[in-house]
Amino acid sequence: MKTRGAFALSRHAVLTCWTLVTLFPIYWMLMTSFKHSGEWVTWPPRWLPHAPTLENYRAVLAPGTSTFELGRQTLKVLKPLWDSLLVAGVSSLVAVALGSALAYSWARFGTGGPRYPYNLLTIRMVPPIVIAVPFVVYYVTLRLLDTYAGLILVYVATSLPYVIWMMLAFIDDVPIELERAARVMGASRFRVVGTIVLPLVASGLVVTFLFVFILNWSELLLAMTLTNTEVSTIPITLNKFQSANEGRAYGPQAAIGTIATLPVVVLGFAIQKHLVRGFSFGLLRK
Amino acid sequence: MSGVRLEKLSKTFGATRAVREVDLVIPDGEFTVFVGPSGCGKTTTLNLIAGLETPTSGDIYIGADRVTDWEPRDRNLGMVFQSLALFPHMSVFDNIGFPLRLRRLPAAEIAARVAAVARTVRIDHLLDKRPATLSGGEAQRVALARTIIVQPAVFLMDEPLSSLDAKLRVEMRTELKRLHASLRATFVYVTHDQAEAMTMADRIVVMHGGVVQQVGPPLVLYNDPVNRFVAGFFGVPAMNFLEGELADGRFMAAPISVPVGLRRAVGSATLGVRPEHVRVTSGDEGWPATVNLVEPLGDETLVFLDHGGPASLIAKMHADEPIAAGDRRRFTFNPDKLLCFDGGTGERIRP
Repeated sequence: MKTRGAFALSRHAVLTCWTLVTLFPIYWMLMTSFKHSGEWVTWPPRWLPHAPTLENYRAVLAPGTSTFELGRQTLKVLKPLWDSLLVAGVSSLVAVALGSALAYSWARFGTGGPRYPYNLLTIRMVPPIVIAVPFVVYYVTLRLLDTYAGLILVYVATSLPYVIWMMLAFIDDVPIELERAARVMGASRFRVVGTIVLPLVASGLVVTFLFVFILNWSELLLAMTLTNTEVSTIPITLNKFQSANEGRAYGPQAAIGTIATLPVVVLGFAIQKHLVRGFSFGLLRK
Repeated sequence: MSGVRLEKLSKTFGATRAVREVDLVIPDGEFTVFVGPSGCGKTTTLNLIAGLETPTSGDIYIGADRVTDWEPRDRNLGMVFQSLALFPHMSVFDNIGFPLRLRRLPAAEIAARVAAVARTVRIDHLLDKRPATLSGGEAQRVALARTIIVQPAVFLMDEPLSSLDAKLRVEMRTELKRLHASLRATFVYVTHDQAEAMTMADRIVVMHGGVVQQVGPPLVLYNDPVNRFVAGFFGVPAMNFLEGELADGRFMAAPISVPVGLRRAVGSATLGVRPEHVRVTSGDEGWPATVNLVEPLGDETLVFLDHGGPASLIAKMHADEPIAAGDRRRFTFNPDKLLCFDGGTGERIRP
């Protein structure tokens, strides 16, 4: 008993330390976003803002009214925020829809042959920069450079392997006899998918959506290469808050970071029920 | 009206020939059981009838219709699966009503018919529950109710009782037979359990290696098997087999030598004797053996006899006859009940 108690204690100690390590950057970002510019990089560090201010948020959300000036740039955050939501949201939805259909057809009909999912995975083995440059060439010709459609298209393509692999795990969990029973009882193939398969993989769809949404929401390299002035996402904007004169604007960057984290956190809470079920694969009794 | 007919039906998976040229007529209203060891093609045959697999060649008729390339839903079938396949995200009511909802019947009629069919299988108190909360027997009845509700002409059942414990399985056997008698529909039932096949079937189809071995009523298969496989498949414990020679109308495997009434001399042969036809004698009639194991079953006792051959002979004796392991006894065979099989092909050798 004693050794077990000691084991539990040390395990909790380790887990607590690790939680602190992972949460610290988020804490630091949150605190910095409320600090005056003088406190951003002071040593010894200030754990809490001396005089909390909303100046950083004003700087990024309403640039004209702020006392803080970053060179001669006027940077807006609301437009990139909207662009990011649109691009990440639409591309993740499309990728989940297409990828789930593909995963289903591979799981049930062997579409594309036995090695198909592995071949898809090789797309992700290439560093994104390798595909980014050729994409610029194509996009110039196709007039997709710096457009929503262009960025959504490339995000759909890069998300698909993740969606397919995650959904394969969930679809494999649905016993094929359930589908067969429904077919014998009179359901068409589409009816089977709609009334049996989709309800049973709902949690999987939600979890997969969240996963690729976070990826696309935070993607920098492709967005930077394929957009310019018309479309601009949050990660790009975050990177722009620096200048030769003032250096890095840590405060406004922290404010943007906090704002950018909020949608994901909200989404996470909204689908908490699905997260718990979705991450415990094998939820169905066979 | 709605019998099932298979014509030269074959199914190949890659290099495996799961079902080979099966010709079979299943008459309307009959309870037919497909039986065989796992991998013998019985479930594949059932799935072919259901339309869940597409035949490689051959044809399937249900009633007068050639249904070979029909969708499962157009075949007017009911099917019970090994896993029962209850939909985990629907209540019992919705599970049973599912086929009616697909047919777009009005809600009131669905409710009435679900209630009626639930009463007949005695699950009307479970309608609000989820399948995961049901016991094995209850889940079984829900699966049956869901199948009966559309009154299909042909019922297909794929080892539906295999998930139940032994006692419940025996109860459900009786219940299924009663159901068959009241519905008068064609039942096609798949099992690997020879006892299930014997007790329930009007006719048994024995399959092995994708090929139909023999078709007939249970007692015909038991008493008059066409080959060694069928002979060994039915009966507990299994038939005793002795390897030896056939010459001058006698089967010989020293020291055993018995007349089997066969004129032909075919050389190597196998003698089949069921345990109930091995008699342990008390006199000096027969051949000597040592009793090496005794298994009392209550009403009968199984006796394992070591007669010098490669395997023990099993005899079934009355329970009140005194016998113990280590006894030296003699045994004979009931001469009218001996079966001979070709030593090479295993085919039955008939007079």
